[in-house]
Amino acid sequence: MKKFKKSLVAISMLAGLVPSLSQAETIAVINAKIYTSTDTGVLTNASVIVEDGKIIAVNPEMVNADIIIDAKGGVLTPGFIGAMNSLGLVEVGQEKMTRDTNDKAADMTFDPSLAFNPKSTAIPFARKGGLTRSIVAPGGGETIFSGQTIEVELTGDWDSIVATEQALFVALGAKHDGSRIIGMQNLINKLDERQKALTKAATKKADKEADKAPTKEELILNAVLSGEKPLIAYADRASDILQLIKLKQRFKLDLVLLEAADAVVVAEQLAQAGIPVVMDAMRNLPESFDSLNNSLDNAGKLSKAGVQVVLAVPGDAHGVYGLRYSAGNAVANGMKYDDAMASITSNVADTFHLDAGRIAVGKPADMVLWSGDPFEYSSHIQKMWINGEEQSTESRHDELRDRYMTQSSMPKAYTK
Amino acid sequence: MAKFAPSLVVIAVSTALLGCNQTQQQDPQVTINKNPYPSTYQVLPRTTTLLTNATVLTGTGEKIEQADVLMVDGKIKAVGAQLSAELVKGATVVDATDKWITPGIIDVHSHLGVYPSPSADAHSDGNEVTNPNTAEVWAEHSVWPQDPAFNRAREGGVTTLQILPGSANLIGGRGVTLKNAPSTTMQGMKFPDAPYGLKMACGENPKGAYGRGQKVAPMTRMGNMAGYRQAFIEATEYKRAWDKYDADYAAGLNPEVPQRDLTNDTLKGVLEGEILIHNHCYKAEEMAMMVDLGKEFNYHAGTFHHAIEGYKIAELLAENGNCAAMWPDWWGFKMEANDMVIENVAMVDAVKNSCAVVHSDSSTTIQRLNQETAKIMHSANQHGFELTEEHVISWITSNAAKSLGIADKTGSLEAGKNADVVIWNSNPFSVYAKAEQVFIDGAKVFDRQDDKYQAKSDFMLGQK
Repeated sequence: MKKFKKSLVAISMLAGLVPSLSQAETIAVINAKIYTSTDTGVLTNASVIVEDGKIIAVNPEMVNADIIIDAKGGVLTPGFIGAMNSLGLVEVGQEKMTRDTNDKAADMTFDPSLAFNPKSTAIPFARKGGLTRSIVAPGGGETIFSGQTIEVELTGDWDSIVATEQALFVALGAKHDGSRIIGMQNLINKLDERQKALTKAATKKADKEADKAPTKEELILNAVLSGEKPLIAYADRASDILQLIKLKQRFKLDLVLLEAADAVVVAEQLAQAGIPVVMDAMRNLPESFDSLNNSLDNAGKLSKAGVQVVLAVPGDAHGVYGLRYSAGNAVANGMKYDDAMASITSNVADTFHLDAGRIAVGKPADMVLWSGDPFEYSSHIQKMWINGEEQSTESRHDELRDRYMTQSSMPKAYTK
Repeated sequence: MAKFAPSLVVIAVSTALLGCNQTQQQDPQVTINKNPYPSTYQVLPRTTTLLTNATVLTGTGEKIEQADVLMVDGKIKAVGAQLSAELVKGATVVDATDKWITPGIIDVHSHLGVYPSPSADAHSDGNEVTNPNTAEVWAEHSVWPQDPAFNRAREGGVTTLQILPGSANLIGGRGVTLKNAPSTTMQGMKFPDAPYGLKMACGENPKGAYGRGQKVAPMTRMGNMAGYRQAFIEATEYKRAWDKYDADYAAGLNPEVPQRDLTNDTLKGVLEGEILIHNHCYKAEEMAMMVDLGKEFNYHAGTFHHAIEGYKIAELLAENGNCAAMWPDWWGFKMEANDMVIENVAMVDAVKNSCAVVHSDSSTTIQRLNQETAKIMHSANQHGFELTEEHVISWITSNAAKSLGIADKTGSLEAGKNADVVIWNSNPFSVYAKAEQVFIDGAKVFDRQDDKYQAKSDFMLGQK
């Protein structure tokens, strides 16, 4: 009984000393090298102040905060943002019962938020790589329309989903059975029909057709045609990319290319049309006849040409933690360091319309404090925050390692 | 068993008859040609070359600062600081100041050439998924030397690689060790005198490909074990038949020749210790059984590939002399890859007499085995290990050579070894490091600064 009282006192004292952030505590990180991913660029010996999950000051004259963390020269970056991966949708790739990425019946309404599992073991593992947020994409079904993307925070909390029905995802290009023509034709026809319907509805008054409530699919296409909803198009070959550029111009789409192995061949056109490219920087083999121009220097070349590049580990769940190494390799192969940093922070935010990805006043405090260059293998995470809340980078992998590193006379099953 | 049972009977009968007639004339002795597709590898043009003033990781656990490496007649002649002027006279000098030098990188697990790029259906030649035991197939017969990925791997410092069949079968066939020097033929790349490997596979793949895929055995892990055991029982009988033939012939008899069987030729090679096992095996309990399987049939269980759970049985692996070839961080793609830890290689390595190897099994990460190693080293050091560059380089050089049975030839920068050497522009365990020059047998096969030494596949010519 006595013991119980004591611990109660201890708890209340602890609570008094380290109150939770919900009580409008302010945190300051000082003495950091800050990659802001804004026009401000890189700040040295700088500080940032966080309140209520938001960044309220970057490098102010005076630092005044409840909790002060001395970075001792460490590197502070925006949390990295994953793009077009399957985090939370798949636990064990080949175990169909643990996989919700695909379904034969999937169409453009296919919504990953209905399956997203914030407790997936792949999520803390992703945090090991400095990822704080992600665009999760469906794998889709039998048609080109794979469904819509969602935005999630990688806290592992039940309320991780930030936005749903965020962008429409279509998969084009080479087909194992049949022709790529049908895919492209389907996309053109859908957009064309919907646009005609919209035009008709706008010009004809009180038409019976126009009165009918639009279907979910029609609403999605409406949003795509109005440019509110990005259209993410997977395509590799330059001929497909050129078709898509025409489509963007014809329908005034907010078009984003995914993978786009040949993008480098048409880089100028892409830059001119303002089409971002979400790509895997590590592709450098002619994996198919659609991707003969894959190269490690493509990310740098596209960036140099003025294309907004997003680096990603598309489709994956378990390997997305390696995003920072992709960025490092892109730099090793010609991409400017700041461009590489933007490609996994602010460019992702801009491409997918997220309010994140920058260390700037008003932005959510998604931040990672690194021991050194965040793209280097020798660097590790010292602290990370999502919306100002400190996150752990521990996963079950650490528990397995520690169990088998611990000496014991009993079987390992007793080491917990 | 059924395949050669008749010939066993014939032998028995003929031996019995011969017993009464020692003076009978002998037919010419039948021997099996163990090397019917011999290497025709030719060293590329080379000179005596001196690399000077670099940080050298020897692959034997040493790091030598400001050191020189001398290559003469395709061999390492000397490594050290300030080699004598007499020794290096007449050498082509490469100034390697501020650069790092390592042995050529060795990948023990590759499917380049058998699953090439582009992945055309017509080039999918890596897995003979027609029978759980296809010990009769040889990966070398599938190699497309024009796979552009060979060139990319060379640009990542890879000088030697083992090409293995895929893992669909319990016993998938022979692997072949190649030198990563461009050639129009497989034989032109074949590593002279390297032993053959035999690909085996545990766990999910064989039972999935047959039980689930084709509704034939094996359907389960116990079916897997039965399959290997059955195969080695037959192979043991086959070996016995040939041993008896050879012994009888040597005794002056004229025995009936046993019926030749390609599948058992390979397994006989395993039982004779000439062919090394390379076993795709993820899980601790399965590796432990494969060790016992080797003991049951009197062969060595060889190298475990992937060995996701190697860290759980590190002691057992070291005690039994098994190498384990692993990734740093692949996981979650199947149940048997669920218990990955990034420090696996370091934990397997930490045991006395261990043989830890980092492998790729990938046409992309084969280009960055130095970076794969860096991931492990740095993650392990963050969790209590004290690994050094000079130590971990062995995971992709000397330990890999040991796994392939070629450690007497390559994998370290020691006098007399093949001059397989990489010059890196910086510490090779940096994300920014690049191989600048690569030498195989003392001949330059890649130079990042010189287009003349940048090979291009036939396939890539004229592609837009």
